[in-house]
Amino acid sequence: MTAVATPVDNATALLSVRNLTCRFGAVVANDGVDFDVAPGEVHAVLGENGAGKSTLMKLIYGVYRPDAGELRVDGVPAAIDSPAAARAAGIGMVFQDLRLIPAFTVTENIALALPGRGLRFQRRALSARIAEQARRYGLPVHPDALVAHLSIGERQRVEILKVLMAGARLLILDEPTSVLAPQEVDALFAAVRALRANGLSIVIITHKLAEARAIADRVTVLRGGRVVLRNADPTGHTDAELVEAMVGRSVPGLASHRQPPGADVEPIVRLRGVDVTGDRGAPALRAIDLDLRRGELVGVAGVAGSGQRELCEVILGERRVAAGSVHIGAVAVHGRPRQALAAGAVGVPEDPLTDAVVPGLTVTEHMALADLGAARRGLGIDWRTVTADAARREERAGLRMAAGDRVVAELSGGNVQRVLLTRALGAPASVVVAAYPSRGLDIATTRRTQELLLEQRDAGAAVLVVSEDLDELLAISDRIAVLHNGELAGIVTPATTDRYAIGQLMLGGGQAGEDSGNDDTAGGE
Amino acid sequence: MTDTLVRPAPEQPKIVDNRAKLWPRVVVAVLAAPVIFGAFAAAKGVDPLAMYADMVRSLADPAQAQTVLVRASVLVLAALAVAVPARAGLLNVGGEGQIVIGAVCAAGVGLVTDQRLPGPVVLTLMIVAAMVGGAAWAGIAAGLRLTVKVNEAITTLLMNFIAIDIMLLLIYDPWKDASGFGQPASRPLEDTARLPLFVPGGTLNTGIVVAGIALVAIWWLMSRTGWGFRLRVVGGNPEAARRAGLRVGTLLVTSMLVGGALAGLAGLVHFAGTEFKLRPGMTANFGYVGFLASWLALHRPLRVASAALLLAAIAMAGDSLQIDANLPAASVNVLMAMVLLVVLGFTRRSKK
Amino acid sequence: MIVDVLTGGVRGGTAILYAALGETIAERAGVINLGTEGSMLTGALAAYAVTAETGSPWAGVVAGAAAGGLLALVHAVMVLGRAANQLATGLVVLFLGLGLTSMFGAAYVGRAISPFQPYPVPLLADIPWLGPIFFQHDPLVYGSYLLAPAIWWLLYRSRVGLTIRGAGERGEVLTAYGHSPQLVRYLAVVTGGLLAGVGGAHLSTAYANAWFEGMTAGRGFIAVALVIFAAWHPLRAVGGAYLFGAALALSPALQARGLGFNQFALDALPYLVTIAALVLLGRRRSNAAPEGLSRVFELTPAK
Repeated sequence: MTAVATPVDNATALLSVRNLTCRFGAVVANDGVDFDVAPGEVHAVLGENGAGKSTLMKLIYGVYRPDAGELRVDGVPAAIDSPAAARAAGIGMVFQDLRLIPAFTVTENIALALPGRGLRFQRRALSARIAEQARRYGLPVHPDALVAHLSIGERQRVEILKVLMAGARLLILDEPTSVLAPQEVDALFAAVRALRANGLSIVIITHKLAEARAIADRVTVLRGGRVVLRNADPTGHTDAELVEAMVGRSVPGLASHRQPPGADVEPIVRLRGVDVTGDRGAPALRAIDLDLRRGELVGVAGVAGSGQRELCEVILGERRVAAGSVHIGAVAVHGRPRQALAAGAVGVPEDPLTDAVVPGLTVTEHMALADLGAARRGLGIDWRTVTADAARREERAGLRMAAGDRVVAELSGGNVQRVLLTRALGAPASVVVAAYPSRGLDIATTRRTQELLLEQRDAGAAVLVVSEDLDELLAISDRIAVLHNGELAGIVTPATTDRYAIGQLMLGGGQAGEDSGNDDTAGGE
Repeated sequence: MTDTLVRPAPEQPKIVDNRAKLWPRVVVAVLAAPVIFGAFAAAKGVDPLAMYADMVRSLADPAQAQTVLVRASVLVLAALAVAVPARAGLLNVGGEGQIVIGAVCAAGVGLVTDQRLPGPVVLTLMIVAAMVGGAAWAGIAAGLRLTVKVNEAITTLLMNFIAIDIMLLLIYDPWKDASGFGQPASRPLEDTARLPLFVPGGTLNTGIVVAGIALVAIWWLMSRTGWGFRLRVVGGNPEAARRAGLRVGTLLVTSMLVGGALAGLAGLVHFAGTEFKLRPGMTANFGYVGFLASWLALHRPLRVASAALLLAAIAMAGDSLQIDANLPAASVNVLMAMVLLVVLGFTRRSKK
Repeated sequence: MIVDVLTGGVRGGTAILYAALGETIAERAGVINLGTEGSMLTGALAAYAVTAETGSPWAGVVAGAAAGGLLALVHAVMVLGRAANQLATGLVVLFLGLGLTSMFGAAYVGRAISPFQPYPVPLLADIPWLGPIFFQHDPLVYGSYLLAPAIWWLLYRSRVGLTIRGAGERGEVLTAYGHSPQLVRYLAVVTGGLLAGVGGAHLSTAYANAWFEGMTAGRGFIAVALVIFAAWHPLRAVGGAYLFGAALALSPALQARGLGFNQFALDALPYLVTIAALVLLGRRRSNAAPEGLSRVFELTPAK
């Protein structure tokens, strides 16, 4: 299964990793990984979400410590037990969440990262150095610009400069292109080539096939924490082979036997031309047209950050649209949660602790929030009704949620999720929007949750499920909408597609970047 | 070959709710604090043990005990004025000013009507005036918070000083009692309009009944009504409240209005129960000590009663300090602060 | 009369300026200290007491700074070490300061000291208008002229300033590069208290030449508010501090001329002006807040 294209011996590699293993409790994030980086090369690490790419890089950068295996720099075993040690060994990393202070200028940010002497920080001298390095590597930045005013692409350049000026010989870029526009990607790659020409090595973690082809000298593919394809020459493999390495080929789950409602049925949720701005001001969704009908379950697939979160929020009224319209039935939802709730929509939030858990409140009190209006009796709240309702929901849901008087904030992550799922799915709703509902749950609870979603659908609800697990989506969805970079890449039906085809859509296969010479997206509706 | 999509478990921030562990901590505080205060007293050449003995003895005196209850009544109201907005997540430090405005409004209404209308009517009018005045004063800060995002802790704090100046402005000129021997104060309230005493000749007035009613009412409001529940949701997680469809802005404003009304009521009880006239320094830090009492009680209405009693007793004992140990009465603020520091420092809540 | 008011403004505003400069450092590091008022008060008493005992107001200043810093240390330990609510703790610390100064200050009420004497700067003091306003004051005022730009330099041109501001914006970034944001915050808060103590010292040994309970009368709170609408910028704080000093000086100046403005309306003026400034500049300013501080200003959760 592991195809070694170019044997690399330890002595010439800038970095070499052997048999690296890392566990988090019962989860094995990296399993016996072998990996090399030669001097002066661009090496892409490909894989789906959760394949272990980030973990591997964090092991190399000293954020995590391996449970087994060894790591060598320039052929010499290196004990990298902290980011500072990694930096001292010449390894630098640019994280997806850029470690920048928006209120500082470029120079100030870089000054903070460099060890310095003296009371004064040599602003002008540093600025000049930054400008010079920027010119040299094709990473144009204005040293005195405030980072808050820079675009993500420019901020990324600052991070790269920061890493360079700290003396890195090996740069690790974690999913650098996931937030960039095509032109910015070109500029980034030009800079990467300039770095390579100067003898530096760059490791790029990515899930984007076309870009890996465009820039990488060699490619390593991770899947399920293991290396599946090692040191491969990208030109020697077709897109199909690479995608297969990343997502694998497996028999899809049973397609639903029910006939989903036909296209002639009036949809209950209608999105038209929806543009949504994300938290950082960049567009999160572009021109989305989507219909959800009663009695159907639509899955949403896509790599993290493709706009799934914003899609859920916009339907539930938790976020405003920048353009376009959202309707649930006859109700236009304008960014007020009350409107969506009144129209019968319920949500399972992606981030329960920040968005749904109220510290100090018990399980029963959280259940009351499902429908405060109905629980009202005079000025007060009829807790007996709430408790009875909660019991009914619990029975219907069958998720073994915690006792009513437990304080939710004290529960474990999985138990919190059980409470929220019971609340959302334990009673009939007209629209269900579930974001990553199985996250943190054991297999049995996951199975039960999937059944609940299907039961809601069978009872006539329109259900939207966002998930990273393609198997799950294929098993329960009537249709699967694939988001890529904020746009709807395609809508497929499980009966006529497979993981490989969905993978292509998710990864933007066949789009953007240099030639990939590949067949077009499969499936469609 | 099946795929196992593996992903390291995300880090979960810990929110620890130490409700259950509160009372032992309070006991420790109540013990540790006097030790530290005793040390300070010793530094001033006062024998701590004798000092504490004197303080305790003073409380046993029935007249003093009555004074403690009288003070505690005002403190309970002042503490509730902090507790209600605190449950919604707002910090009301303006109790002092709201009490003053309450007293001023009560005095304004009372001094105009007390010689013309029967006592109970005057009292009722004063109560209403005090609560409306206090609510309005607090409402200004709430409004500023919602519109221009100025933190209410700072605005209410500054407004305390303005309120005191308003009162001084009034009693030095327009409301000045001509027969007051030159001391700036308003004319004393007619006997009929004062809060009736329990025992003629004693000092305990029905203000304690007012405080008790307010205590029960607020307890009921917070734990038995939908409004109180929604307030707690907002105070716990405003984002979750918003997503559940709650009107967060309205809840914040109403909580401040209720708090202001309670502080205004405290001003009335103090004015119509003890002072009977407006004079400089009449509020004697009730607002700030009420703030301390609310934090001591962790903003729970029923615990406010015991917290208020405790601080009122400490304050009372502080008066005896002045006589017996020759320490200024305000020294007792050290003891209060110590108790609060221990409670604040050892009751964790979600990370700020 | 304008000259009088402006001169009074500089003199009266100096104490506020010291406290505001100190609080600027603390808030830049992400900690708000409402106990600044307490630090000023303890500083005032300590300075007065030591001056009375030793006869040297300079020794008094040192003592005042130490006292203010110690009180601020209590705040720092509670807020940084025990994660206590910043705003509530500040007020409790204030109470502590009130009580301590009351306890230990009784002996000094009414006691005379040899205070700071005004020292006219040669040549500069003779400039018409500007001379009396700026150059006929006591040494602490001159010290504040130097302090404000020094703190500006510290925050914006030194490495230490980078860590201070970084701690207030995103402490995690500091940690990623080997600094300790907590240590930086501790030092910032204590420094804030030190400077507030110096401000208090000025109040008792140079401005009022007296000690009495509660003599700071809210100046510490005004300083905290001043920091906010100076957008956490030390040089802007100067203007604000003198503005309040002028508002405070207005009343005696008007009375000296027999102009009958209501004394209490004038007393309330500084607080009104502060609130007005916060309202007018509030929205814009709150966007300029260090990120870490914004989180404190959001709803303070209560249990």
